[in-house]
Amino acid sequence: MHERLSFHIKRDSAIHRLNPLTKLTLVLTLILLAFLTPWYWTPHILAVIFIPILSVIGKVAKEYFTTALKLILPAATFLFIMQAVFQPIGEEIIFHFYFLDVTQESLMFAFRNAMRIIVMVSAFTLFLLTTHPSELMSDLTRRGLPGQFAYVMISTLQILPQMQAKAQTIISAQRSRGLDTESTFLKRAGSIFPLVGPLVFGSLAEVEERAIAIEARGFTSKQVKTSFHEIPDSSNDKILRWSLLFLILVSIVLNLWHS
Amino acid sequence: MLDKIKSNFNTQTWVLIPIAIAINIAVGQIVLLLKLPVFLDSIGTVLVAVLCGPWAGALTGALSNVIWGVAIDPGALPWWPVAFFIGYMAGRMAEWGFFKSWWKVVVTGFVIALTAAIVSTPIAVYLFGGITASGSSFITAYLLQTGQGIWQAVVSTSFLTEPVDKITTAMIAFAIILGLPKRTIGGYPKAANAEAEGADKNQLYIAIGVVVLLVLFAAFLLRNILGG
Repeated sequence: MHERLSFHIKRDSAIHRLNPLTKLTLVLTLILLAFLTPWYWTPHILAVIFIPILSVIGKVAKEYFTTALKLILPAATFLFIMQAVFQPIGEEIIFHFYFLDVTQESLMFAFRNAMRIIVMVSAFTLFLLTTHPSELMSDLTRRGLPGQFAYVMISTLQILPQMQAKAQTIISAQRSRGLDTESTFLKRAGSIFPLVGPLVFGSLAEVEERAIAIEARGFTSKQVKTSFHEIPDSSNDKILRWSLLFLILVSIVLNLWHS
Repeated sequence: MLDKIKSNFNTQTWVLIPIAIAINIAVGQIVLLLKLPVFLDSIGTVLVAVLCGPWAGALTGALSNVIWGVAIDPGALPWWPVAFFIGYMAGRMAEWGFFKSWWKVVVTGFVIALTAAIVSTPIAVYLFGGITASGSSFITAYLLQTGQGIWQAVVSTSFLTEPVDKITTAMIAFAIILGLPKRTIGGYPKAANAEAEGADKNQLYIAIGVVVLLVLFAAFLLRNILGG
């Protein structure tokens, strides 16, 4: 069996102990603050100072920084360069290159946008590092999310790595039979079918069996299901959630008032 | 309304959705490996939309972007409304009977492409100022530098890049449905939408004719956008 796709790292920290919904609210607040507050430096402070501190509190700093360096920073840098070079705003040209002008305004604009993306992604990374997907889903189901949604999320995370492994197997198998995946455009385009076909037909064949299996376990039953695993939701969690919501409200008001 | 949405979902739909999301992502990665100039990352969404209905397709699209965003490439997250409407539109077209032969599937692909272009434009403009992290932004940037307005530049870029991708997606989805045994399709809520009228050689020639017409139509639209 393949590993389920999950970034979760099991540790005991203040952030791990928070209720999953509180953590989700925290992520949402960070993202909205980065996008809504009119002050230019908000996303920068969140990305460079606040979220790294949270990762230290959550005892996942090492994993967080690895992800940040490997995934988030390259993507953000690419976006920064694209925007800095291609945004046609601003007057004061710093340097230009053929038909492209880099101006002070476009640099500032690109810098803020890149930081916003960093905030969005790193807040989610932190959430995924400290929350187990099944914990999140059982908490949300308890609060009224239909069980079907929880099934879709959890089973996608399970199926995806299996499917990717299957795709690898099919690619290797077809290559060993002489399928051309590297030469001219037409040959590469033609090899879509021998690769996609077996993958899709194979997975669709399982659908009916799975449907019968989960139906036999009461998937569409309307009865309230009991849970073996209790997820704590302390009064601290509730206070934190309300204050975060208040913060979101403040930033929306500031945004509207400022524009 | 609620009954209509509910009619899209039976147990088979719920089982198909995760598999379709995984197909979206896995096929997207295969295409990336083949270095083709398309994405083909919504084949699963179109499959669900045709077999189960527009709302199931919309849900698959949106969730697929969310999961892609949290698991692989966070840049995919803000684009979930585009995937939502791709699924919805594919399902609607299938309900109107436009998923039964090759040339109709081509028209469906084109309509999906227009929908995707329209929905993605405000996201690209408001969130990224027109320049996103995708390769097609080079075209947008070029149009911006030649003095086009930002909306025109972004819309025309989408008009240039989307139809090829979405028509191919729809055609592959149709080929898959043709290849599935009838017994497998029968259990889905909207199986009747996918009943092929005929898939012989003549149909394929008509399809090619329709592609040429649509390309001319797109060129005409593009000229109007750029001119006006």
